[in-house]
Amino acid sequence: MPIPERLHQYVSTDKQQHFPKDFLSDWQHYETWDQATVGQSGPAQRVFEITAEDIIAYNVACGETDPLMIDPERAAKLSPTGEVLQHPIFVTAIAFYSLGESGIGTWIRTPGARNPHQDIEVFEPFRYGERITTTVTTHDKFMQRGKPYLQMKLDFHNESNVLKARWYCSLILPASQDDVARFANA
Amino acid sequence: MQTPTFASVQTGFEFEPVIQSYAQGAIDRYALGSLDMNPVHTNTDWAARAQVFGLPETVGHGMMTMSTMTSVVTRAWGVIGRDGARLRRVESKFTKPVKVGELVTARGKVKSKHHHGPGRNWVLVVVEAQDTSGDLVGVSEIHYQLPD
Repeated sequence: MPIPERLHQYVSTDKQQHFPKDFLSDWQHYETWDQATVGQSGPAQRVFEITAEDIIAYNVACGETDPLMIDPERAAKLSPTGEVLQHPIFVTAIAFYSLGESGIGTWIRTPGARNPHQDIEVFEPFRYGERITTTVTTHDKFMQRGKPYLQMKLDFHNESNVLKARWYCSLILPASQDDVARFANA
Repeated sequence: MQTPTFASVQTGFEFEPVIQSYAQGAIDRYALGSLDMNPVHTNTDWAARAQVFGLPETVGHGMMTMSTMTSVVTRAWGVIGRDGARLRRVESKFTKPVKVGELVTARGKVKSKHHHGPGRNWVLVVVEAQDTSGDLVGVSEIHYQLPD
């Protein structure tokens, strides 16, 4: 199922242009709650190279208007890093881009998923040109009030192995592939 | 934008509210900015059929609500400052889906001061977000390190 045509007007970055945006097309390959194993760990599919346009796209989407967050020229003169400052929840974009469409952690793309709570720690600002590797660890898997919860720990390191941010990402998921299918095929 | 010192901040300090539209265009832009293209946010026909939240319409991203709540603090004090000020952690719970077309208002208040020593002191800010009808849609606890 292609994405709605109207969304193309908002595409402003190279990653947005090429990212597989149809979450309903590869759902059979997404990890499910049934398949996830606590303690399993591995690298995400893609490395995310930080660019000003990625940061600005996220900041603008959050409604930010501070020149230090949306104007590279002003940021070069005035921001503490000399670069546009990212909104603290920018790791969301790194995670969705990096996790890809099959394998560990891809349940983040699941049709029918619901978002109960999230926990993000920021250790250092991301800098232009950094190549961010995301390490995924299945952290918890439980049933609560009849709902299947899955939580992964996402560690975001740069090419010098500096831990830049950590996200404990939780979702309530359709438990099995059959359950996912009911949403994907709706 | 003025980042205060740890010593000067009082518990109970209230931030300027942040008001954010969750019109479909705003949700669409957030979908691309975050690369969270789940159809529950962007595909109105699918959302009507699937009714993930028991609603026949799209909803805003929880991460968008988390961002709105976080902006309450960062628009006042900055994401980072030259003097060691910085946001360290955000923990958010989502209590109700934000339906397309809502206007979300997020309000924050300093709840406690954490004395961890020079250069490591931080405050806990609690932010609550409400939809147009006043229902609570999210709560965040934000740790913000302040200069001495």
